[in-house]
Amino acid sequence: MADDLTTYEENTWCPGCGNFGIFNAFKNAVKRLEMEDGISRQNILITAGIGCHAKIFDYLDLSGFYSLHGREIATAQGMKLANPQATIVAFAGDGDAFGEGIEHLIFAAKRNADMTVIIHDNGVYGLTTGQFTPTSPEGFKGPSTPFGSPEEPINPLKLMLVTGATFVARGFSGRLKELTDVFVQAMKHKGFSFVDVLQPCVSFNDTYKLYNSKVELLSQPAANVDEAMRLTEQTEKLPIGVFYQAEAPVYHENLLGNWNPTVQRATRQQRLQSIKSLLEKA
Amino acid sequence: MEKELFTFIAGGTAGAGIRKAGAVAGYIFTQMGRRVFEMEDYQSLIKGGHNFAVVSSATYPIQSHYMKADLVVATDKRSYDMHKDHLTSGGIMVYNSDAMKDQQIPNGVGVAFTTISRKYTNSELRLGVGAIAALAAAIGMSKDELTEVIKSQYRDAENNVNFAMEIYDAVAPQLYAKFALKKSDAKHLPMISGSEAISMGAVAGGLDFFFAYPMTPASPLLHYLAGHAKDFNIGVMHPESEIAAINMAIGAASMGLKTMVSSSGGGMALMEEAFSLSGMAEVPVLAILGSRPGPSTGVPTYTEQGDLRFALNQGHGEFPRIVASPYSMEEAFYLAAEMLNMVQQFQTVGTLLTEKHLIESRMNVDIDVEKTQWAQPVMYTGGDEKYLRYKLTEDGISPLMFPPSEQVVKFTSYEHDEYGLSTESPEMIAKMHEKRARKEEALIEKLKQMHTVNVFGETGPLIFTYGSTTMSVLEALRCGNIQARVVQPIYLEPFPVWEFEQFKEESPIVVEQSVMGTFETLIKDKTNIKAKASIRKYDGRPFDPEELAQSIKEVL
Ligand SMILES: Cc1ncc(C[n+]2csc(CCOP(=O)(O)OP(=O)(O)O)c2C)c(N)n1
Ligand code: SF4
Ligand SMILES: [Mg+2]
Repeated sequence: MADDLTTYEENTWCPGCGNFGIFNAFKNAVKRLEMEDGISRQNILITAGIGCHAKIFDYLDLSGFYSLHGREIATAQGMKLANPQATIVAFAGDGDAFGEGIEHLIFAAKRNADMTVIIHDNGVYGLTTGQFTPTSPEGFKGPSTPFGSPEEPINPLKLMLVTGATFVARGFSGRLKELTDVFVQAMKHKGFSFVDVLQPCVSFNDTYKLYNSKVELLSQPAANVDEAMRLTEQTEKLPIGVFYQAEAPVYHENLLGNWNPTVQRATRQQRLQSIKSLLEKA
Repeated sequence: MEKELFTFIAGGTAGAGIRKAGAVAGYIFTQMGRRVFEMEDYQSLIKGGHNFAVVSSATYPIQSHYMKADLVVATDKRSYDMHKDHLTSGGIMVYNSDAMKDQQIPNGVGVAFTTISRKYTNSELRLGVGAIAALAAAIGMSKDELTEVIKSQYRDAENNVNFAMEIYDAVAPQLYAKFALKKSDAKHLPMISGSEAISMGAVAGGLDFFFAYPMTPASPLLHYLAGHAKDFNIGVMHPESEIAAINMAIGAASMGLKTMVSSSGGGMALMEEAFSLSGMAEVPVLAILGSRPGPSTGVPTYTEQGDLRFALNQGHGEFPRIVASPYSMEEAFYLAAEMLNMVQQFQTVGTLLTEKHLIESRMNVDIDVEKTQWAQPVMYTGGDEKYLRYKLTEDGISPLMFPPSEQVVKFTSYEHDEYGLSTESPEMIAKMHEKRARKEEALIEKLKQMHTVNVFGETGPLIFTYGSTTMSVLEALRCGNIQARVVQPIYLEPFPVWEFEQFKEESPIVVEQSVMGTFETLIKDKTNIKAKASIRKYDGRPFDPEELAQSIKEVL
């Protein structure tokens, strides 16, 4: 797997883990963005939560911040605000983003933060040995729910549609080409992009068979939110691809206008001058 | 005889413009060349309840309000009840006669505040203006002078002036020129709150982006910086929680911005995981902790120093942290800039610990903006084959580079190698621990070169205190005519033990706003100096200098 987007870190994902698919699709997407869209890899900054998914941070030779469990979306928004020219991607687990840090996910979508969130949705807390997560089905047996999960799972795409995300997609780690396409579109989208990637965990929640039999590529995004909502309710078939995409003002421009805090920083003298004049009036 | 010290109290319900009246009174005294200290006492409610502003002034640099007032203007009954025993001898109570029918008030001047104000729209909101009118009459200001003040300090000047004139005329026969205040030709100094001082100081030091979630008494920083974001050319964001605030601040700092957060104890507790992240990722962030009485939700709008131990120990794991606490508005201004520089230089988290009493009180300051520090981290200047974010260096400080950049820059919460990739190697774990420990050493060496402890006075018994309580102590010594030396550590972590060598053989009096004496314990743990007496206050109210002077005399 040696290539110029991969670090020297030893890869410790279980053989057959769905994370490999996400890793490869993402690297392909970066290369495509470089070639086709002139987005350089130096400008693509990544964050990750904590979990099996997050190891992708150590494997990808890209700049960024290996954040805390559940906080990667907050870290990412801080980075975006600091320099709106950067393209920011947060890798998150389902435990990470739908459990520990769900408020950041909801608020990033609500304010249309211009960034991409990629959920490695394996329906388990992989790294902490297979407990149920917010997307595990009711009845899921894990070490913390030996008699089965007593809770209904959430529907992540629906949640994002309701919250106002302007790009909502689903991918499957076993369908590399389609996943790459979705990543490219998500990163090019101006606004909040959400990609829920169905990711089998061979050790604690092996869903390969299920997904291989059910996954079906959408021909085109839904025309409106209502239609997209209905698509998220399908269970016979599991649609993948872009469910919904819309244009809307992005957060950093609403807050900062065209000002770039890194590039257009006030000098010390300008600061002292404004403080002096405020003190004169005080 | 002209009065040196003069205290004015305005009291009323929340929403009656009392806090504004305090600020305007401060303005009036400042215009007379006097120095002002204003303390606002308000409750955690929006309408009703009881608010009061205490404004003490003198021609010397006064450092506290006094609870005994020369003039009280009580715009409601509750204010009267509360402050009727707060008059100096010769003090005068101006009360709302509408609210106190048929009562005989000694030394009182009754005014029909409610009846008169009803002639105007938003009558409730104007009561504070009435208090200012009574003050103006009492200190012998002319109606023209009063008109000027109202025009310059209030909106809706026309109605406010008319209302003020009616009140002035009503009180003047009994009150006009009852007090003659000493004036001075000293230059007029700006009057600012601690929150303004900290905000301006941080901006002077290089603050680029501020993230905060509202929590009293730290909210004034958020409001001030948000209000002036465009003037200062900085970013200000109020996100979904304190956890979001600090993680965003750390994210933005990893891109090279100088960032700051603020909260009170509860919000700071939520931020704690990210404090530790700052320590591990070596990303600088400055936190302002505005204390109120705890534990837990405690008493939101009052003051205390109960968070000292909490502040010193923020964040799990071992890493260098910096904690400092300013004693005055001026020191807060310079310290905010200095702390911003310290966290940048040592790539870690710093806490500026302060209290409601400093954040929300206001006083005159003599500030030279040019004397502020400018935050400057150690930057990478090339030379290595590959940039190493966590390069092992002699002083533990690895030069910074910020993305987007040609080279890869990896920040991380995991233990890591020099490049920034996770590691479980025993050698690397130990090396990185040692690197951060060397930073602590370097930090201590740096502090040894800095001014870390204030010592006021040359002779007399020794008093240890810290934070804004220092101002209470200094004012108490002045009003009680006590000669003493007051020692106040500005830096609390790392603790400047070297500065305490000189006091090793002595037994100080320790003054703090805490019930368990955390500061006294800290002093003993760090320096082995035992207190001979403790003066502690923990009712949420700042010390009154006269009472404190009494307490000090009792233990001398
Ligand atoms: C604050 C905090 N709580 C708990 C943990 C322990 N922890 C590490 S990973 C993880 C769950 C990860 O699950 P998920 O986000 O779904 O990632 P996965 O391992 O499945 O990829 C937990 C609970 C932690 N690191 N930090
Ligand atoms: S535990 Fe599951 S998610 Fe984690 S590496 Fe193994 S297969 Fe992948
Ligand atoms: Mg998971």
